[in-house]
Amino acid sequence: MENARRTQSVLTARRAGLVGCTTCGRVHARQAVTCRRCGSRLASRDTGSLQRVWAWLFAGMIAYIPANLYPMLVTSTFGKTQQNTIVGGVIELFDHGSWGVALIVFVASVLIPIGKFIAIAYLAVSARSAVVIRGHGRQHLYEVVEFIGRWSMIDVFVVAILAALVQLDFVATVHPGIAAASFALSVAFTMISAQNFDPRLLWDAYEADDT
Amino acid sequence: MTDPKPADLDISAARPSFWRNLSFVWLVPVLALVISLGLAWQSFSQRGVAITISFPNAPGVTPGETTLRYRDVVIGTVEKVTFSEDLSQVVVHARVDKDVAPYIDSEAQFWIVSPKVSTRGITGLSTVLSGVYIEGAWDQELGAEQYAFVGSDGPPLEQPGRPGRRITLMTTDGRLISEGAPVYYHGVEVGRLEKPRLTISSDAIVVDAFIEAPHDRRLNSATRFWDTSGFSVSLGGQGLTLDFDSIASVVAGGVNFDSVYEGGEPVSVGHVFTIYPDETEARRNLLARSTADAVSIAAEFGESVSGLEPGAPVQYGGLKIGEVSAISADIQETETGPQIRLLANLAIEPDRLGLAAGAGPDDVLDFFDAAVERGLRARLAAANLFSAALVVELVELPDLPPESFQREATPLPILPSVESNLPDFTATAEGMLERINSLPIEELLDQAISLMASIEAVASSEGTRAAPDAVVALLEDTRALVNDEATRALPGDIRAAVADLRGIVAELKEAGAFDNLAAALKRADEAATNFATASQEFPALVEDLRAVAAKANSLEAEELVAAATRVLDSADKVIGTEAARDLPPALNAALGEIRASLAELREGGAVENANATMASAREAADAVAEAAAGLPELSTRLERLVAQAEGLIAAYGDRSQFNDETLSALREVRQAARSVSQLARAIERNPNSLLMGR
Repeated sequence: MENARRTQSVLTARRAGLVGCTTCGRVHARQAVTCRRCGSRLASRDTGSLQRVWAWLFAGMIAYIPANLYPMLVTSTFGKTQQNTIVGGVIELFDHGSWGVALIVFVASVLIPIGKFIAIAYLAVSARSAVVIRGHGRQHLYEVVEFIGRWSMIDVFVVAILAALVQLDFVATVHPGIAAASFALSVAFTMISAQNFDPRLLWDAYEADDT
Repeated sequence: MTDPKPADLDISAARPSFWRNLSFVWLVPVLALVISLGLAWQSFSQRGVAITISFPNAPGVTPGETTLRYRDVVIGTVEKVTFSEDLSQVVVHARVDKDVAPYIDSEAQFWIVSPKVSTRGITGLSTVLSGVYIEGAWDQELGAEQYAFVGSDGPPLEQPGRPGRRITLMTTDGRLISEGAPVYYHGVEVGRLEKPRLTISSDAIVVDAFIEAPHDRRLNSATRFWDTSGFSVSLGGQGLTLDFDSIASVVAGGVNFDSVYEGGEPVSVGHVFTIYPDETEARRNLLARSTADAVSIAAEFGESVSGLEPGAPVQYGGLKIGEVSAISADIQETETGPQIRLLANLAIEPDRLGLAAGAGPDDVLDFFDAAVERGLRARLAAANLFSAALVVELVELPDLPPESFQREATPLPILPSVESNLPDFTATAEGMLERINSLPIEELLDQAISLMASIEAVASSEGTRAAPDAVVALLEDTRALVNDEATRALPGDIRAAVADLRGIVAELKEAGAFDNLAAALKRADEAATNFATASQEFPALVEDLRAVAAKANSLEAEELVAAATRVLDSADKVIGTEAARDLPPALNAALGEIRASLAELREGGAVENANATMASAREAADAVAEAAAGLPELSTRLERLVAQAEGLIAAYGDRSQFNDETLSALREVRQAARSVSQLARAIERNPNSLLMGR
């Protein structure tokens, strides 16, 4: 009985013998191979999804390491060169009393990327089983991850704009460091990773429970 | 109703192989991993070698910013700055490039470069903006690697890998030699001094210097160093000399060197050079040298040689042929016991003497042999009028007792000398000054002053002042008298008188007085001619005058002055007498009387009596006529006088000083004679003038 109630709450298309087009949303019979409306390939589940998610996730995580070890911003003023890593910059800003800015940078460059890694990893791991968060919770998490990913680029943009604007030769020069490139890559990789996740997988676990 | 139902087929998808299912996407993380690892490895491999340098203090050294440089190229960065365990040193941890690290061995030196302003300019200016950096110096050879170093205060003089030579200099005065002071060669900086230090055993100061290649090749046994610091002012035989080098060396001190003669030999390692106080001293020192050419002889002097210094020129006819190289005393055994003689060593340069280029010492000595026979002697002479410096002159003097050139004398051949005439000059000058000193000039001046005072007293007396008024009054009266009609009538009478006079003159002419006069004048003329011939011997006169001037010294100037004093004294007395002071009033009185008599003249009809007077005048003229009869006699006497004068001139001769006076006397006589003749002619032409006054 309890199961039935749960089943009612989650009736998947696959269970109903249907397959939806991910592009235009039209529903087809299970056997259909291509969408009759838009011609996209139809697949009830993207079998390679998790694999790609993991691959991009790893790439993103690897890129995130040099992004934190190498300097993000190389500023030289009057012959004095200063190199700042992401965390170093945050600490310095904090020391100078710019807590607001320090917080924004910290959230955008540290909290969000790391949160994303964890979130995506969790989603990928939990795709096959219903653990901890059930039902729509995971769907929400996935949507948040996808939405927030782009905001991590805020740091990269700041560096890009500064490097383009502040080129006063001897007086002041700003160069992007290695970290800027690797951080941008890291963000891009995690976004692709999130994109590759097939959220339909989240529901299969319930289906398995029901059978 | 059971439909046959096929058994459920256990259809399960063949389990796909793991590898087949592997997505290409996995290449991305693998690539990322490879790149990251590559980066990491690269940074690690390029991470330089860590070294530590300890400094007493490390001003301006900032971790992560201060760079380590070699030849001004960045080869590393300071990573952190810590203290040594006992806090006595600052330990700078730096990483240097791997390529360079093997060269940094035990010889390496490090110092901190910061902006520095000194007398030699501003250094390290680039560090003002960029901050200090640590400069290192080491050679170009691989050595045993070392990781801990002790930094030095400043750039080392002798930087490893820089060619050059380290030498040691010795001086007794370290005041003007400072560390880092430049070493100059012909004014060009070729090296630096290190820190001067006192030797333990003696008072000498030893300072190491580093001479950069290729200038170190100039160092040899002929090299002399001298101090160029400060400036020197010297007053010598050559006049006033002011010497100083660059401003930097004035302030910071400096040392100059030069080869003082050609052909020095290379010096051995460890040779210590002496720093002389100045260039002259350094060059003078070399005279003890044996230059290839100079021939040393000695001259013996029997008088004081004070003022003669080594380096003083030896002159022959004003031309420098050598220098005094040394002055020494020598004890000589004589019959009267040991006697000290003063010897001056003379370095004679044969080529200056005019001997052939290849002349050896023997030729020079031969020359002196012959020259001494002819009368060549050494003599001391003043270098110039204003100094006491002496030079040695070689002079050839006639009429000397024969002496020979002691060629075999030891240690040097001795050239005979003659006494100089220096002391005479001094004595004469002194005597003259003394006599001038003893003249009673003060008394003379006193007398002159009192005379002036008396004159002033006379001039300022009231009687003197009143005199002009009286004169004016007299003139007024005279004018009145002249304007009188009776006076105007006078000329008529006078004309008569003149007619008479003419008669007298005619008589005179007849008496032949003028002829005599003319003859007298002729004689006078002749005398004058004689004198003219005498004066042709003027040059000889000048000679005598010089002799007279020489005797001027012995003239009795005192008496002269005393006489002058006496005269002035008398004048003073005369003027100072009351009679003299009473003179002006008397004059006044006289004028008053004249005035009174004039008034009487006018009133008493004196003019009317003029005719009578004229009559008297005529009588007077007659008397003149009689007197004129005596004129011929006068002429004769004049003639005699001239003859006597001539004789007198002859007696005094042509040369005596008296001539001068006689000449002027004769001139005056001649002039007088001429005047007399003019007067006579004038009277002849116009006898009226005698009376009319024109």
